Amino acid sequence: MHIPDGILPVAVSAAGYVSTGAATWFSLHKINQKENPQAGIPKASLLTAAFFVASWIHIPIPPTSVHLVLNGLLGAVLGYYAFPAILIGLFFQAVMFQHGGLTTLGVNATVMGVPALLAYFIFRLRNVVGKDSLAWTGVFGFLAGAGGLGIAALLAAVILVTTVPSHLDVEAERAGIYAMTLAHVPLVILEGVFTALVVVFIQRVRPELLENG
Amino acid sequence: MNLGLDEHAHLGSPLHGWEPRCKFVGLMALIFAFSFVRDLRLLPAMLAVTAALYVASRLPFPFLLTRLRAPGFFLLFMAILLLFFSGSTVLVQVGPLALRREGLLELLPILAKFVSILMVGLVLFGTAPFLITIKAMRALGLPSILADMTLFSYRYIYEIGDDLETMETAMGLRGFRARRPSGRTLGVLASLAGTILVRSYERSDRIYKAMILRGYGRAPRRPDEFQARPRDAIALGGVLLVAVGFVVAELILRGFGV
Repeated sequence: MHIPDGILPVAVSAAGYVSTGAATWFSLHKINQKENPQAGIPKASLLTAAFFVASWIHIPIPPTSVHLVLNGLLGAVLGYYAFPAILIGLFFQAVMFQHGGLTTLGVNATVMGVPALLAYFIFRLRNVVGKDSLAWTGVFGFLAGAGGLGIAALLAAVILVTTVPSHLDVEAERAGIYAMTLAHVPLVILEGVFTALVVVFIQRVRPELLENG
Repeated sequence: MNLGLDEHAHLGSPLHGWEPRCKFVGLMALIFAFSFVRDLRLLPAMLAVTAALYVASRLPFPFLLTRLRAPGFFLLFMAILLLFFSGSTVLVQVGPLALRREGLLELLPILAKFVSILMVGLVLFGTAPFLITIKAMRALGLPSILADMTLFSYRYIYEIGDDLETMETAMGLRGFRARRPSGRTLGVLASLAGTILVRSYERSDRIYKAMILRGYGRAPRRPDEFQARPRDAIALGGVLLVAVGFVVAELILRGFGV
């Protein structure tokens, strides 16, 4: 999900920046509506750094290992701070580790951040059925985690396959989208299970950390 | 705190001395102009401008090589997809694989643009301390919540990374080995991730209280002290001219269909 520089047409990069601008504006608008918007900044920033670090944890899948994206979990925990957090995380990835790129920052942030916001809305539904229940927290954690990565994978596949190789025929494009999305299905389930386990852990240890959700 | 990026931020070069706001605007304009280029004939000029900037920045060459390694896999995937599956004119046939002309012609600009943008990005973020660059972005209009969050997270990433390392060592000493994706492994790793989040959350609470005591959010923020000299503005003008030159050349080449 780190589309590098040079691959996408400039119109797509620009559209990515426009959608990122809109999502950032929406998030900041919601944050500023809070009673004391500055109070949330240290919490959101340290959690942004913590998510960045947590994504270094590798899950063994022999013969290799995968790292998790955690955008669904990020949405569930950070709420409206999730989009700025992802934007900042991707900016760090681009300038420190050259994962992703500067011109594609908008596209990448949209691909990862909009599903994170959706995951937040999904996770918030647990308030309707009983937010103190560990079982429901787990269920909505799974849905948020799986949904966050699933939607992101689908968005990335559509953007990559439809905008990049202009000489691929329609059939090959469609097959490409299906293949890339299907390849993500086991990861989506893994991400969902992991997210569920983490939110259940937090619900046990520090339930107020999930207050945003 | 050394995050790799700041490693060469204090070398003396014209690019290190360039006023950070002008540098940000100029080099970002150049980066977007590069991403607009598609015509093969503009690629050598683009690479030449990039090389000149990199040499002028006095950043070491090995620094560039280590930075190119990370995104290599993605490019390899793109190269295979384009070279063997895009287009119909076969250049070379090796068994079931056919190297295609259209794919090659699409791949060349992608590679050139990727390398150029990465190098200009390195010059932009490698020739000034990261904190100064973020302050320059704030002075240019980056919303203060975003700037504060960026500076804050940057400050704590490696500290929290050290926490993770300590916890992983402790887990290893107690006999935990992540070998198979069993339910137990996943549960332990989820607790590890959860602990990282909970610890950071608790730490943020203490930090926020300490910041309040020091007046965070009350005193009007001191304006960032940047001052552009005439030569900074001239350099900005020059780089913007080059950026516009690439866009115009690309449009002319496309327009005439030559």
